Amino acid sequence: MKPSNSFFSWRGQAIYWCAAVLLVLTAFPFIWMVSTSFKPLREIFVYPPYLIPKQFTLANLARLFEQTRFLTYFRNSLFVSFSAVVFTMILATAGAYSLTRFKYFGREKIASLILFTYMFAPIMIVIPFYVLIKKIGLANTHLALIMAYTAFCLPFALWLMKTFFQSIPLALEEAALTDGAGRIRAVIYVIFPLALPGIIATSIFTFILAWNDYIFVRILITSDELKTLSVGIADLYNATVIDWGMIMSGSMLITIPVLIFFVFIQRYLIAGWGAGAIKG
Amino acid sequence: MRLSPQKTGILLILPAVVLICGLLVYPVLYGAWLSLFSKHSFFPEQKFVGLYNYIYLAGDADFWRSLWYGIVYSVSTIVLQIVVGLIAALLVNETFRGRNLVRGILLFPYVIPTVVAIILWKWLLNNQFGLVNYFLLAIGVVDDPLNWMGKDHIMFSLIIISVWEFFPFVVLSVLARLQTIPPVLYEAAKVDGSGAWGRFFHVTLPQLRNVLFVVILLRSIWMFTKFDTVWLLTQGGGAEKYIRTLPVYAYMRTFMYYQAGLGSALAVIMFGFLIASTAIYFKMFRREEEI
Repeated sequence: MKPSNSFFSWRGQAIYWCAAVLLVLTAFPFIWMVSTSFKPLREIFVYPPYLIPKQFTLANLARLFEQTRFLTYFRNSLFVSFSAVVFTMILATAGAYSLTRFKYFGREKIASLILFTYMFAPIMIVIPFYVLIKKIGLANTHLALIMAYTAFCLPFALWLMKTFFQSIPLALEEAALTDGAGRIRAVIYVIFPLALPGIIATSIFTFILAWNDYIFVRILITSDELKTLSVGIADLYNATVIDWGMIMSGSMLITIPVLIFFVFIQRYLIAGWGAGAIKG
Repeated sequence: MRLSPQKTGILLILPAVVLICGLLVYPVLYGAWLSLFSKHSFFPEQKFVGLYNYIYLAGDADFWRSLWYGIVYSVSTIVLQIVVGLIAALLVNETFRGRNLVRGILLFPYVIPTVVAIILWKWLLNNQFGLVNYFLLAIGVVDDPLNWMGKDHIMFSLIIISVWEFFPFVVLSVLARLQTIPPVLYEAAKVDGSGAWGRFFHVTLPQLRNVLFVVILLRSIWMFTKFDTVWLLTQGGGAEKYIRTLPVYAYMRTFMYYQAGLGSALAVIMFGFLIASTAIYFKMFRREEEI
C-alpha cells in the first residue's frame, strides 16, 4: 500500500492543488453552460460576466421547445441509439460467447479482423457507405443510421464482451453442464447473470457512441424531421443569429442522458479495462 | 437435433462476421474501387478514370495543404494529450479525499457529444462575450480581445479544444495500467535508493511502455482521421480554410463539389495511413520480442 497523502504535507498540498486545477479545467465549461442556460438574455451578454444568474429563468428552455424541433430530434436520437444498442448487443454477445467458448477453424483470424475493424474511423467508410445506401434506396431513413451504428459499434462491443466472457471461469459452465443442464440452460442460469454487468456496461458505451455521432447523420439524413440531436443542435448554431441561451440549454439537455449513463459505468471504466474500452 | 460445438460456435459468430464484412470491410473495398472513377455524388453516372484521381491529388495544392494541417493537428494534439493525460493519470492514481469524484469528472469531456464540446468552447472563446478573453484581459495578458476563431488563432483553438476533449482517453488507458504495477517494484527501487524521479523513470515509465504505444497508435489513427471536431469548429468563422484537414477535405470534395471519386481517393489515402500505422506498430513489437 502506498502511504496516503496527508492534506498538511508538501506532497499532499501539491496533489490537492493539481487536482483542483484539473477539475476546474475539465468541469468549468459545463458549469458555465448550465449557468448560461438559466440566465435571461440581458445577463448572458453582461460585462463583467458572473456565474450565478441574478434572475433565474426558464425562458431559454421554453424557446428551445417552442421554436425548434428539439423534441423530435430527441425522440429520433433515442430511437436510433436504442435500436443500435439492441442489434449490436445481440450480435456482440453471441459472437463474443462463441469466441471464448468454442474452438473452430478461423477463430483467431476472426478475432484479428475484429481488432482491425475496431480501429476504423467513420470518415474512411462514410463516402462509399453513402453511395451504397443510396443504391439500395435506404438514404434518408433511420434504418440506414441503425445499420451504420450497429456495424460501427460491433467490433468494439465484441472486443469488450470478449474480455468480459474471458473473466468468467469456464469451470462454472462445465459444472452446470455435468450437472445435467443443457448448454442453453447453463448459459441462461449461470453465464448470463455473471455477464450482465458487462452487457450493461457495453450497451451504455454503444449507446453513447451512437448518441454522440454527427457524421453519419449529417450524410445519411436530409429531412429535418428525421435528424437526431447532434445535427439538430449544430444546425441551430448555424442559424443566422446565435441564440446562446437557447443553444446552451439544448446542449445541456443532450449532455444529461450521457452523463447519467456514464455515472453508472464509471466504475467499470476504472476497474481496468483500459485501452480498447472506448472508441472515438 | 444437436449441433456439434464447432458448428454452434460458427453459427453464433457468423451474423457478426457477416455484418462486419458487409458494412465495414466491403465499403472500404468499394471505396477503393470508387476512387478509380469520376463519379457524381448524387447521380448514378460514373466514368472509369483509372488512377487519375490520385494523379490529380498529387498535383493539388489544397490536398498537400490539408495533409500538412492534418499532420500539424495530429502531432501536436497527440503530444499534448499524452503529456496532460499522463500527468492526470499519475495524479488520480494517488490517494486523496474525493479521488473517485475527480476521476469521474475528468472523463466527462470524452463522453459528451462533440457538438456540445464545440459549442461550449465557441461560447467560452467568443471574441466579444467569451469568458476566456475576459479573463485574459482582466489579468493583463492581452490588451485587445483575441479573435480565437480568426485565421491566426483557429488552429491553436482547435488544438486546445481537441486536447481537452480527448485527453481522458489517455488518462483511462494509463490509469488502468498503473493500477496493475506491482507495488513490490517501487519498494525495491526505494531500497536501492531511488528518489521519486528515479522511481518514475525506472519503474513507472518502463511499465507503461506498452500501453503508451497502443495509445499513440490509436490516437494517431483517430486524430488524423478526426472529422466532427474539426468540421464543427470550422462552421461560421470564415477561417475554415486554415484548419481544413484531410477528413474535412474529403467531405468537402464529396458533398460540396460532388466528386465522390476524388473523395473516395482521399478516404483510401487515410485508410492507407491506418494500415501503415498498424504495420509499424506490429513491426516494433516483434522487434521488441526478439531482444
